[in-house]
Amino acid sequence: MHIPFCTAKCGYCDFNSYVGHDHTIPSYTKSLLTDASLWRAAVGGRAVETVFFGGGTPSLTPLPEMQFLMAGLRDAFDILPDAEVSLESNPGSLTTEYLRGLRDIGFNRLSIGVQSFDDEELVSLDRTHSADEARQAYASARDAGFDNVNLDLIYGLPEQPLSKWQSNLEAALDLAPEHLSLYALTVEEGTPLARDVARGRTPAPDPDEQATHYEYTQERLARAGYEHYEISNWARPGRRCRHNLIYWTHREYLGMGAGAHSYLNGARFGMVLLPNRYGELVDESAAAQDGVMRHIASAETPPPELVMADALILGLRLLDGVDVREFARRYGASPDDVYGDILREFEGYGILERTPTHLRLSKRGLLLSNELFLRLLPEAVEV
Amino acid sequence: MEPARIRNFCIIAHIDHGKSTLADRFLEMTGTISRRDMSAQVLDDMDLEREKGVTIKAKAVRMAYTSKAGTPYELNLIDTPGHVDFGYEVSRALAACEGALLVVDAAQGIQAQTLANVYLALEANLTLIPVVNKIDLPSAEPERVAQELVDTLGFAPEEIMFASAKEGTGAEDLLESIIARVPAPSGVGDKPLRALIFDSKWDTYKGVIAYCRVIDGRVDNKRKLRLMSTDFTFEPLEVGVFRPALDAVEELTIGEVGYIATGLKTVKDCRVGDTLTDDGKPADDAVPGYRPAKPMVFAGIYPQQGNEYPLLRDALDKLQLTDAALGFTPESSTALGFGFRCGFLGLFHMEIVQERLEREYNLDLLATAPSVEYQVTKTNGDEIVIDSPAELPPPQEVGQIREPWMDISVVCPDRYIGTVMELVTTNRGEYKRTEYLQHSIVQDDGTKKGEGRVLLEYSIPLSEILVDFYDNLKSRTQGYASLDYTFREYRAAPLVKLDILVNGEPVDALSLITHRDNAVHYGRQLTDKLKTLIPRQMFDVPLQAAIGGRIIARETIRAMRKNVLAKCYGGDITRKRKLLEKQKEGKKRMKRVGNVEIPQEAFMAVLRLEK
Repeated sequence: MHIPFCTAKCGYCDFNSYVGHDHTIPSYTKSLLTDASLWRAAVGGRAVETVFFGGGTPSLTPLPEMQFLMAGLRDAFDILPDAEVSLESNPGSLTTEYLRGLRDIGFNRLSIGVQSFDDEELVSLDRTHSADEARQAYASARDAGFDNVNLDLIYGLPEQPLSKWQSNLEAALDLAPEHLSLYALTVEEGTPLARDVARGRTPAPDPDEQATHYEYTQERLARAGYEHYEISNWARPGRRCRHNLIYWTHREYLGMGAGAHSYLNGARFGMVLLPNRYGELVDESAAAQDGVMRHIASAETPPPELVMADALILGLRLLDGVDVREFARRYGASPDDVYGDILREFEGYGILERTPTHLRLSKRGLLLSNELFLRLLPEAVEV
Repeated sequence: MEPARIRNFCIIAHIDHGKSTLADRFLEMTGTISRRDMSAQVLDDMDLEREKGVTIKAKAVRMAYTSKAGTPYELNLIDTPGHVDFGYEVSRALAACEGALLVVDAAQGIQAQTLANVYLALEANLTLIPVVNKIDLPSAEPERVAQELVDTLGFAPEEIMFASAKEGTGAEDLLESIIARVPAPSGVGDKPLRALIFDSKWDTYKGVIAYCRVIDGRVDNKRKLRLMSTDFTFEPLEVGVFRPALDAVEELTIGEVGYIATGLKTVKDCRVGDTLTDDGKPADDAVPGYRPAKPMVFAGIYPQQGNEYPLLRDALDKLQLTDAALGFTPESSTALGFGFRCGFLGLFHMEIVQERLEREYNLDLLATAPSVEYQVTKTNGDEIVIDSPAELPPPQEVGQIREPWMDISVVCPDRYIGTVMELVTTNRGEYKRTEYLQHSIVQDDGTKKGEGRVLLEYSIPLSEILVDFYDNLKSRTQGYASLDYTFREYRAAPLVKLDILVNGEPVDALSLITHRDNAVHYGRQLTDKLKTLIPRQMFDVPLQAAIGGRIIARETIRAMRKNVLAKCYGGDITRKRKLLEKQKEGKKRMKRVGNVEIPQEAFMAVLRLEK
């Protein structure tokens, strides 16, 4: 569920989010529920294993709307009793009361966008909260009974020395979250950060420095007992994000909301970006009762070679890698049948390695994975 | 028209001294082209010509002019190529004339090319009419330039004409002086046909159109013709004149200039400089001076995308129909794939060909560093000729290498003598002589007025002036120097082949032949530059420069550490795939040598070596 509203836009962010539209949340919530009802047929009786509220800042949604939404989703879909139900949140707006409310309506996993434990860095990232507020939010989550909490942090800021990142990491470890998502700062096209870098107002992040931060992180978190399970994700044993694992294991999901994306019944599609337009089109689709989803803006049905490439590219993001026999069973050909030469070449570079059952990236390969991934893409693919 | 009423002339000038503008004025005044149809510089109709401000191919036009005395004349203006690369074409165009207007810019005075053209015109026995042009310019010094013409070239002061082609001043006087001074064509009407081909052009419908000057006899489209250098015969489709569009006529007679549509398939079959004669009644001797165009500069031309190779081949085939001087043979490079070794008259010609291929045939090309033609005596006594570093035998098999040397002349203000001298000597050149074209005037108080201008003559290896010599000369003299060059001789030199090894593999397209004394310096520069131009790979890449087996320079490109997408979730998959596609496209524009991806710019590094 995509909630595309924020109290402020961060310079590095290229997600579909809008500032100053909080008052539209109630009507947007209604659109989401209408949308959910429209998908009932396409989903069929399939059980829902995970629900994820992303954004934007989903924690801006008031409790009554949240209640209403979850109830509606349970009406529309068969959400399993042990489903993982996550919410992304920002530290500034979290109270124990609100978080308790979330627990009561079924949320069992909370992700907090901390980004940094250094107030200066937070300012440079355009974050509107302080490090202390992040700690308070975390404490509130624990008070409210969340026993599965993720912290998002960003490393490799322009001119950030390793020591600063080390302090950030220690601050995170002090809180002992179940899960850590740690991202190298990426200059995304079209963001204010990209413009600042292009104009020389901010130095670009140094990829070598980021690599150093990353390698340090791998080592430090292993010592702290976290499993590194995806390129940018670490978790305590048994606390991997089940929702995100669906993406990486190339399974199906339905995304609803402005700009939400889905992979359902073999098709990848995305909905219109503007929340108001999304609402209008959802209403039109509902009124027409003809099964045409007017709020879908783009769709593709990847051909088999692209399906295999996607599966391998996503699967190799996981440190366990890709189960070769399962791959062959699902796609009718093993990775070696399709990419034998490339795989051998990258094994030669020490980027890929094999276990008796799996094909996976090496430690060094994690940092160079694009070099392999782009070679796996089929030629002249129309996307 | 009877020969006595015909005048065949050309205009010779240094680049930008106003040749084309003057031609335009003549066309206008004689009503050959109405003022309304006049687009500036009518004779330069190839886009490239207008842009570069030079005439690439010779052209001709017939003008009807009634003199002030009331006599009608037929004036044939033959336009000549304006670049030294096309010196041979110029000489053939001159051979089709009896006279030439020597146009000199009133502000710039005599330049290197002016002199070169004068020598060619004198060799062709032309009557020269010196014209000081652009007298309307604020910086014009007509008297001074006139004096230069008198002092340097020996004209009588009263011979010198003054004009402003731009404003039309003096243009009519020039036409009158052409009638008065340029001799009418001589030739014998009942002799067998001899027609000199001074240019040719390819036409989709009429095949090769030969631009001719009838020396003896007459020509029509009823009799079979023969090319005297090859004894190749054909039946002409049409004869005609230039007004300036092609206009068919019954026949061309003595002294006339016109065209013959030959129906031949390629200009190679109908070379500039050859003589056409009547197959049934051939002439005894051809017009002297014919020689096939000889390429001086060679480079590999490769499609940036390997799959465009067949397109490149077709484009070269077609271009060769219109450009007899262009030679090419297939070549393959381990680094660049399949392409062609092309021969050019000079660097300018190379540039023109490359641009025409890219513009007219929409190709993305990569040209390797230009090379000259070397003569090699092998230790076993064999003599070979090579035009690419790849063809040079291993050092132990090379007895002697000889390289082409050029005579160059530079005209510039005398204050630049030192800097020009320095430029020439750092390029292995040898000083020959200095001649003052004009002295500065020492005034009564001992100070100097005006500046002296000199003609400097040197010999220099062609390979040294191939790439950036002219640009350097221009920048060192703030644009004042002009350059002209002609081939002199082959000379032995201690030349070596410098190889560049990337990740241990020699990259043929980066090799060059250089003087032994420069090899280490170049090797260091190349490895240095390549280090910045070749992106980091997944592993360390050693860069080495070697002569024979000996490594003379070494650098290492450190392995890249990070190329990874930090985030990839459900909403991102299509978008992230696009990012990967973009990276992949970027890599496609690189050439893969072994496992290393080398960008196009790296191959250009060889062109930008500093002495």
